[in-house]
Amino acid sequence: MEVSRLSVARILQIALKAGRVTRRYPREPPLLTPEFRGAIRVDPTKCWGCGACVNVCPPNALTLTSKDKTATLEYFVGRCIFCGMCAEVCPANAITITKEFELSSTSIEDLKSRVVHRLVRCSSCGEVIGTEAELRAVIKSSPISEEYMVLCSKCRKLKFGKAAMLGRGGSGD
Amino acid sequence: MTNLAKALKAIKRSVWVYHLNSGSCNACDIEVLDALTPYFDVERFGVKLVGSPRHADVILLTGPVTRESLPKVIRAIKAMPRPRLILVLGSCGVGGGIWWDSYSTTGGFKKLEDVLRDSSVEVDRVVYVPGCPVRPEAIIYGLLLLLGVVEQKSKRVEVYASEG
Repeated sequence: MEVSRLSVARILQIALKAGRVTRRYPREPPLLTPEFRGAIRVDPTKCWGCGACVNVCPPNALTLTSKDKTATLEYFVGRCIFCGMCAEVCPANAITITKEFELSSTSIEDLKSRVVHRLVRCSSCGEVIGTEAELRAVIKSSPISEEYMVLCSKCRKLKFGKAAMLGRGGSGD
Repeated sequence: MTNLAKALKAIKRSVWVYHLNSGSCNACDIEVLDALTPYFDVERFGVKLVGSPRHADVILLTGPVTRESLPKVIRAIKAMPRPRLILVLGSCGVGGGIWWDSYSTTGGFKKLEDVLRDSSVEVDRVVYVPGCPVRPEAIIYGLLLLLGVVEQKSKRVEVYASEG
């Protein structure tokens, strides 16, 4: 067995000079810098359900699934890589990056959180226009009249086209 | 009480861990080293690193389980004596991470669990620790959750979008 080249006295000298370096984690708060990125939080009052974050998320932790009446934005913390691109890209500023990292769980279902949006359908053709929150945000920035608000973009163009033809002396068909 | 239940109850604080890397990028492994060495020191809790899964209580699993490593990981988990506890570390282990739909990985612990069940290898307790890479503090928190010392903070949330 090879004997250590440092004597006990020398080791003690080095150890006493270094002192105690261990961070007493559960007893003292962890070191968190202002740039630290923990789990994200989606604000259900601001989210539009547009899917910009879904497009940009590298590991597909954010998914948007649409059913007949609702569109669900699901955030799976288990797959998140904490890059922060979703918060950067969100047009509604609904995503905030919290400092939360104590995220362990005994089951995968506890790591998923959902925001459910109600979908608005066109009153003449039945196609999806968008989510209620999206419509509200559009109307807030550029108000549309009641008749056009309930139509999808195709039906809006048709209606406007017919109105324009009527104005020019056409038949309106 | 059966022998297994007695053994599970006897695991309180000082567990012996075995570090198993199933193809990770090594960031989570560096953080595991950080947790085991004197800076974040889990040895104050009596947690020891062992060299063989046959001596281990807990396996620290990192990495999306790649195709090459799948049979070896199964052999390592089979070599653990009951009760088997697994701490799945990192976004790769929990949900496949960036490689969730890659051709060369099986997508993390979920698929591994199915394969283990098919080959009749039973795991007694699993805790998932998200992070990329996992903070050493989060590893300590996950280990304490596995041992039943702390309460879980994450909860499944489903809210309807509403006006502010």
